[in-house]
Amino acid sequence: MASLNYSAPSTSHAPRCRGEFAAVVIGNHRLCRDHYRLVLRLENFPPSHPGQFVEILAPLQAMDSDSHEIEWDFGRPRPPLRDQFLAADLPYLRRPFSIAGRRDGPGMAYTDIDIIHRVVGKATGILEHQRPGDKLSILGPLGNGFRVSERVKNALLVGGGVGIPPMIYLAEKLARRGMNVVAFAGAQSRDLVSLTLRPDFAVPADLLPVMAAAEFSAFGVPVVLATDDGTLGFHGYVTAALDAYLRCHAELRSEQTVVYCCGPTPMMRSTSVVAGKFDLSCQVSLEQPMACGMGTCQSCVIKYRPADAADWVYKLTCTDGPVFDSRDIIWP
Amino acid sequence: MLVLRPVPPYCKPDRRRDRPANPPIVAARPLQSGNAAANCLIMNTTTTPSTVESKSPSLAVRIGRLSLANPTMTASGTCGYADEYADFSDLSRLGAFVTKSISKLPRKGNESYRVIETRAGMLNAIGLANIGLERFISEKVPRLARMGVPVIVNVPGWCTEDYADVAERFDREIPVVAGIELNVSCPNVKNGLSFGTDPVRLAELVAAVRKRVHRCTLIVKLSPNVADVAVTARAAVEAGADALSLVNTFTAMVVDVEKGRPMLANGTGGLSGPAIKPIAVYMVHRVYSQVAKAHGIPIIGMGGIQTWKDAVEFLLAGATGIAVGTALFVDPASPQKIFDGLTAYLARKGKSSVQDIIGTLNTDSP
Repeated sequence: MASLNYSAPSTSHAPRCRGEFAAVVIGNHRLCRDHYRLVLRLENFPPSHPGQFVEILAPLQAMDSDSHEIEWDFGRPRPPLRDQFLAADLPYLRRPFSIAGRRDGPGMAYTDIDIIHRVVGKATGILEHQRPGDKLSILGPLGNGFRVSERVKNALLVGGGVGIPPMIYLAEKLARRGMNVVAFAGAQSRDLVSLTLRPDFAVPADLLPVMAAAEFSAFGVPVVLATDDGTLGFHGYVTAALDAYLRCHAELRSEQTVVYCCGPTPMMRSTSVVAGKFDLSCQVSLEQPMACGMGTCQSCVIKYRPADAADWVYKLTCTDGPVFDSRDIIWP
Repeated sequence: MLVLRPVPPYCKPDRRRDRPANPPIVAARPLQSGNAAANCLIMNTTTTPSTVESKSPSLAVRIGRLSLANPTMTASGTCGYADEYADFSDLSRLGAFVTKSISKLPRKGNESYRVIETRAGMLNAIGLANIGLERFISEKVPRLARMGVPVIVNVPGWCTEDYADVAERFDREIPVVAGIELNVSCPNVKNGLSFGTDPVRLAELVAAVRKRVHRCTLIVKLSPNVADVAVTARAAVEAGADALSLVNTFTAMVVDVEKGRPMLANGTGGLSGPAIKPIAVYMVHRVYSQVAKAHGIPIIGMGGIQTWKDAVEFLLAGATGIAVGTALFVDPASPQKIFDGLTAYLARKGKSSVQDIIGTLNTDSP
């Protein structure tokens, strides 16, 4: 019988590539009916890539030694408490959000990241009420970002709803590399377009990309806007806009063009069909319900089968993805 | 559940009220004869952790043949194979590491959705997805060996041979594995619960595995999905278990009212998180008082533990080890925070060892 012999634990002091960070809310801006842009300031935040995400702990989930206790300085007024925080039905798990943008301070003294979210439930309902100075715990950066090949000259960024934010971060990166980038942004209707529309640009109903969205035009990237109900821009799904655009632009149908996509699952599946039709490579950033984001809970699985594989396997959206080649996905 | 209180100036600057700026010096003292739990646990040991002369209380405990530097552990299935948390948590400060379930053959697991959040907890139905015994040994064991803490492997099975073969393999060939936790209580696979709910089958299984496990500490993880957990606990102990883990998750269901279907693809799932903690504490206390105390069998308590207070509840109720599960998803460093909080609590209470509080719950009516 072999004896137990533990080696000493490793004591590496290399800079962390990810971790837990305390973030301070710098800004919280309402973008449209349901969407907010939260600007968070962090120190020593590791390098990140478009397509990566963070896990945010809504503040009243805060788990220090006494959970759900709030303390304040003696003699000072009690901090304002909002009714929904006092309700028993608090979120328990962290929530994943893609990074919508990043700005590093002078000398990397601090990093600001943008999180754009739609208020849909308990945790986003708490995030909606964050004010400058509030603190949040975030884990990140998590997952693998979009892959950018040197060969690629044209990028078509297709974002639907809360899939638009990672496209903003990606637009910045690709535009800085001098690529020819066009963004396609889709929403159900005008009041759910989570972008800052510039008053000096009219949004055409045809497929002409214009500098109408401040988030994209900041990097010189034009956008085609589409709404399901036609209240803004192209009338129809954003995938239909992409399809029509590619039919008109034969010069884009080459190996030098890549489609990047994030949005609801049916929209991503449909984008991958359009990309396949024009024989374009397509990367999708998937979302699945996940408890941890770190690869331990094994819940965010998708069926994955590369072209040369005999059988499918489950891959984890959090650590194997969230970005996958659309051809390798077996869509649910 | 929300507590609001202003902090008087004398409590500053240390935010954690239970950690005094200068911990009281506690003289070393021999074990009290009345502390049956501690005596049971110390009986077969060569070192007596609680007699170490130190300002800081001793957190060392023993689980069967395992010497743990402190009672904090990970709960199987919430901590992967260990490398996942390396960037977020100092795993070398754990008392012991418990892997996710390792089955004889790889398993893909259930269809999506596999998790859904509930009030103060979550439901999961992963279906024991894992890379299988051979890949675990070749890919994950080297990393576990570098971690520097005792490793316990959780072993599921579908028949007695499954359990016994995998357990024997670890026992004979993988020295870094110091403990085997038999998962007889997974609610999310077909027949997963059958060993855990039938005391006769459970006793046969534990006895069969016991015959083939000689070096490792044999732990049986009990299901809470029974009428009286003391019955299955007794069956496991009398069949030769060195320790008991409780509780596994509670079989539960969440319904999608729009679709008229269960939320999880598996239909049912296992409920975990703070929602189950009071039931878990009760079950630990019941097993401790009815079975474990008399047999000198340590209990690894789990079920909704996320703060040091939760951990102390389990220790007082009779647990020797405490495992953090679902809370790791929210804060992978929570075991270390529990360690700090527990140390401060013991110092404040003037205890020289964590063993002085195990099972000391006073249930006399006031």
